Amino acid sequence: MSKEAPLSVAEREFILEALRQDSRLDGRGADQFRPLKISFGEEYGHVKLELGKTSIVVRISSEVTKPRDDRPFDGLFNINLEMTAMGSPAWENGRSNELEAYVTHVLDSVIRRSNALDTESLCILKGVSCWSIRADVHIIDYDGNLTDAACIAIMTGLQHFRRPDAVVRDGQVVVYGVEERVPVALNITHKPLSITFNTFNEGHNIILDATRKEEQASEGELVVGINNGGEVCFMSKFSGAPIDAMEVVTRTRVALEKVKELNAQIEKVMQADLAKRAKKGMAEESRAENDR
Amino acid sequence: MSAPLILLPGDEVPSDHLPSNNSNPLKLGPGLRLLSQPSSKSTPATHVLTATQAGLVTTDAKRNTVSLLSFSNCRYIPTVNDLVIAQIHHSSVDYFHCMVTPHTAHALLGQLSFEGASKKTRPMLKQGELVYARVLSIGVGAGAEVELTCVNPATGKSDPGGLGPLIGGMVFDVSTGMAARLLRASSSSEQSDIIDGLAVLSELGKKLESLGGFELAVGRNGKVWVDCSNAGDSAIKATIAIGRCLQTTDEKSLNPADQKKLVTRILREMNLAS
Repeated sequence: MSKEAPLSVAEREFILEALRQDSRLDGRGADQFRPLKISFGEEYGHVKLELGKTSIVVRISSEVTKPRDDRPFDGLFNINLEMTAMGSPAWENGRSNELEAYVTHVLDSVIRRSNALDTESLCILKGVSCWSIRADVHIIDYDGNLTDAACIAIMTGLQHFRRPDAVVRDGQVVVYGVEERVPVALNITHKPLSITFNTFNEGHNIILDATRKEEQASEGELVVGINNGGEVCFMSKFSGAPIDAMEVVTRTRVALEKVKELNAQIEKVMQADLAKRAKKGMAEESRAENDR
Repeated sequence: MSAPLILLPGDEVPSDHLPSNNSNPLKLGPGLRLLSQPSSKSTPATHVLTATQAGLVTTDAKRNTVSLLSFSNCRYIPTVNDLVIAQIHHSSVDYFHCMVTPHTAHALLGQLSFEGASKKTRPMLKQGELVYARVLSIGVGAGAEVELTCVNPATGKSDPGGLGPLIGGMVFDVSTGMAARLLRASSSSEQSDIIDGLAVLSELGKKLESLGGFELAVGRNGKVWVDCSNAGDSAIKATIAIGRCLQTTDEKSLNPADQKKLVTRILREMNLAS
């Protein structure tokens, strides 16, 4: 049974009728996200994110590898998303489903192909060695809007991650341990996030951050990937009922507002966490100057 | 009334906690298992019961029942006589195949096990419709089929009343523990108020009376069906308000005073305060 349990007739009709009266099951407004909680693990780039009941853990890791032959100046960056039975009983271990392919595609487009992470800065020695950055996305609990949640988590992880310092000495690559040298932040060129809109009742109701039940009752969705500067780097309308063109324009504006809000929130929790680390962490120990 | 007693799995239920009413046969609720029955020869006649889950022993002297009030589980395991809200998945010649919990084997509900149903008058339920049913049998061993019924086979009536298809309304998911508490609150034995501390329903009932009240069906499988169709224009809002009150009470394990505050706050938010 790899399919999500279908919604009952009563639930579907109620959700649609409620939306017609501008109410949602949890009392949110149409343009409101669920409460977002971001926390960090022990290590850099380990992010735990909760968006309502959707819960995701993202772990960023790095290793030194050989760059691809056709792109000797570029490092590697990969996003790995795996849906295991832990996230939802509807998913089977080791078998990919439609949702997985879809979410992976959106994440890939919004974050990787928009060059949010500057891969050229990952090059250590041309054609010989480079950093390979890997983002592993684990879904702990699933209650809708996986794309946006995963996108926020990955972007937070990338901004939070610190890779070990590496230098080239006499044609030899030397990687310093985190104890030896202050680890280096990744070069983030811009901060795009995806914002998913779900449409109901022939496009009359468009809501943000749908829960699982709302997603099931939805007739179509529109995903906008946009950054703080208002540059749209991804837009998709894969399937479902048509949406008015004007609606797309106005929704992009809503998405921009949301992205600014979310990025501000990410920045805030990240600064708080980094300040906490700086107080007791490696940065203090490995600093050259001392108090004397 | 003796002091509350908490048992761990494998503990025996002390005989002084069993109801002493001998006119009815002793009924067991979920979480308990009968190890040995009193034979007519042995004296004194005692049942040996052990707990299969951790929980609080509760007895009802009038109906001669003993059950274990367990904690919230993530998973619902059917027990005979539980009331559940099931969703029709598909129907076959003799049975409706229902989902009691998602992603588990389907439970069977006989096409004719409704009140007053005959071959000609049986309800034609479609996929996705909801029924309020009682667990008739759970079978033995692995892969056994759970059977549901909406009628008491002995009397041919729906017992307790209200079993059958649920039309309209909305279903909210709550924890299994909350569902058990709600069911106990509705059976209103004087003991339940102390243990359960559930004021949210009576408070909602008071506040929403002017709107025409509401109907509620609680399934032990962690589902609550709410219908406010009497409330006219504010039906949707009232239903959402009830659902939110129940879910918040459940998630935050509120005490009665906070539950009352919550009801007032949510009704005001939804513009329903009278």
